[in-house]
Amino acid sequence: MNETKIITNNVNVYYGEKQALHNVSMNMQANEVTALIGPSGCGKSTFIRCLNRMNDVIDTCKVEGTITIDGYDIYSKETSVEKLRERVGMVFQKPNPFPKSIYENVAYGPKIHGIANNKNELDEIVENSLKQAAIFDEVKDRLHEPGTALSGGQQQRLCIARAISVNPDIILMDEPCSALDPIATARIEELMEELKKDYTIVIVTHSMQQAARVSTKTGFFHMGNLVEVDKTEVIFSNPSNKKTQDYITGRFG
Amino acid sequence: MSEHIVKSYDEQLELINSNLIIMGGLVESQIKNSIKALEDKDTSFAEEIISDDNKIDELEKDINELAYKIIAMRQPLANDLRTVISALSIANDLERMGDHATNIAKRVADVKVNLPDAPTLEIVRMGEDAQKMIKDVLDAFVQRSDKLAMNAWHYDVNIDDTYIGIYRDLLKIMSDDPDSVAGCSHLLSIAKNIERLGDYAQNIAEDIHFIITGSALEKK
Ligand SMILES: Nc1ncnc2c1ncn2[C@@H]1O[C@H](COP(=O)(O)OP(=O)(O)OP(=O)(O)O)[C@@H](O)[C@H]1O
Ligand SMILES: [Mg+2]
Repeated sequence: MNETKIITNNVNVYYGEKQALHNVSMNMQANEVTALIGPSGCGKSTFIRCLNRMNDVIDTCKVEGTITIDGYDIYSKETSVEKLRERVGMVFQKPNPFPKSIYENVAYGPKIHGIANNKNELDEIVENSLKQAAIFDEVKDRLHEPGTALSGGQQQRLCIARAISVNPDIILMDEPCSALDPIATARIEELMEELKKDYTIVIVTHSMQQAARVSTKTGFFHMGNLVEVDKTEVIFSNPSNKKTQDYITGRFG
Repeated sequence: MSEHIVKSYDEQLELINSNLIIMGGLVESQIKNSIKALEDKDTSFAEEIISDDNKIDELEKDINELAYKIIAMRQPLANDLRTVISALSIANDLERMGDHATNIAKRVADVKVNLPDAPTLEIVRMGEDAQKMIKDVLDAFVQRSDKLAMNAWHYDVNIDDTYIGIYRDLLKIMSDDPDSVAGCSHLLSIAKNIERLGDYAQNIAEDIHFIITGSALEKK
């Protein structure tokens, strides 16, 4: 088994009075794709957002329990949220390129984080990130056109390039393929296969087949509880929990 | 089995299930009839049995088509996946069992000649044992009972033992009376057919265990 990268221990999340996650304890390994599945509203996005403290921006949201990355408590006072987000990149359900050029979309992060020392280095980072996201060939002749002019699938890969550009350890993906056709989806899945060699990937998906195809481990959430987590092949062929089985076989919504 | 959100999915799974039950029933009666034809040395009954085999082949084809369709359309998972994959395997085993029943029927004409009664009776008895085992395994399938399936699975050893006994008896008869060789060698093949029936029934018991528990029994 690969080294454990992320550990959550008894994580409870509240939005005001309402509790959205109950005692979620889960480990995620480096160089693996961990998939999170479960019915709408069960807390998948809430959970994944805890991993780079995206929930901090929601006033009413309170997170309890501990979450460590490489053994460091990411909610401790010493943690810089800036630095954390540099290490833990995120790709959202809807591709959200900045209203800037393709080049600027990718160069923005390395610039503000001071990763590149000069223009040449920056060019290199942009090119490499676009290559890693398997979109370079499609955009290399139009780097200064707006990112928003790309197709949905290309925009999503651009966002992945943007997430990679700051050289993170972990990439969180919240339903990254929900707006994509099967070809663009296959490209992103192929990309994950490539990316997991260097990164830890956590993906939320509503597609059972996608979870089965891309992930090593799958966690099933239901009403704010992590019901079952196991090797992906076990979850999809012989889950231990009846709720998991009912959900993945389409027996309840 | 039931209560998928998508009703037509339930209907397809139910159809595969009922086709297997029909196929199992047909195989059961083909075996029963072939043993009866042997016992009565009734060649015209045997002819009927031989021509009925294509009904079993047709059902296997239907079940295979339905299973491929479900896999392509529904991408079944977990217990549904196990059910569909096992349906393919059970249908295949039942089809082979049908062939063995046909083989027995085909030999009825050959054993019409003068034969020692004792081993023939013993073979008929062995055939009845196999029928009991097959009935249990089909009941286990209908009821989705792992316990019944395992009982049937363990029963196979009796059929194997009977086969070894018959084999010895026939060898002895043949060496004592060279004129009996032609007839006895047919009886030997029939005993082998029945022994194979037990093996296929055992395979089906393994599939039922897999459907229910999700873990595979060690194939024998
Ligand atoms: N900003 C918020 N303020 C209040 N409640 C929220 C907020 N975000 C989420 N919730 C609630 O928390 C629960 C979990 O929501 P979450 O978005 O994590 O679900 P999800 O599993 O990602 O669902 P989906 O599959 O639909 O994206 C829901 O009941 C939701 O209404
Ligand atoms: Mg969500």
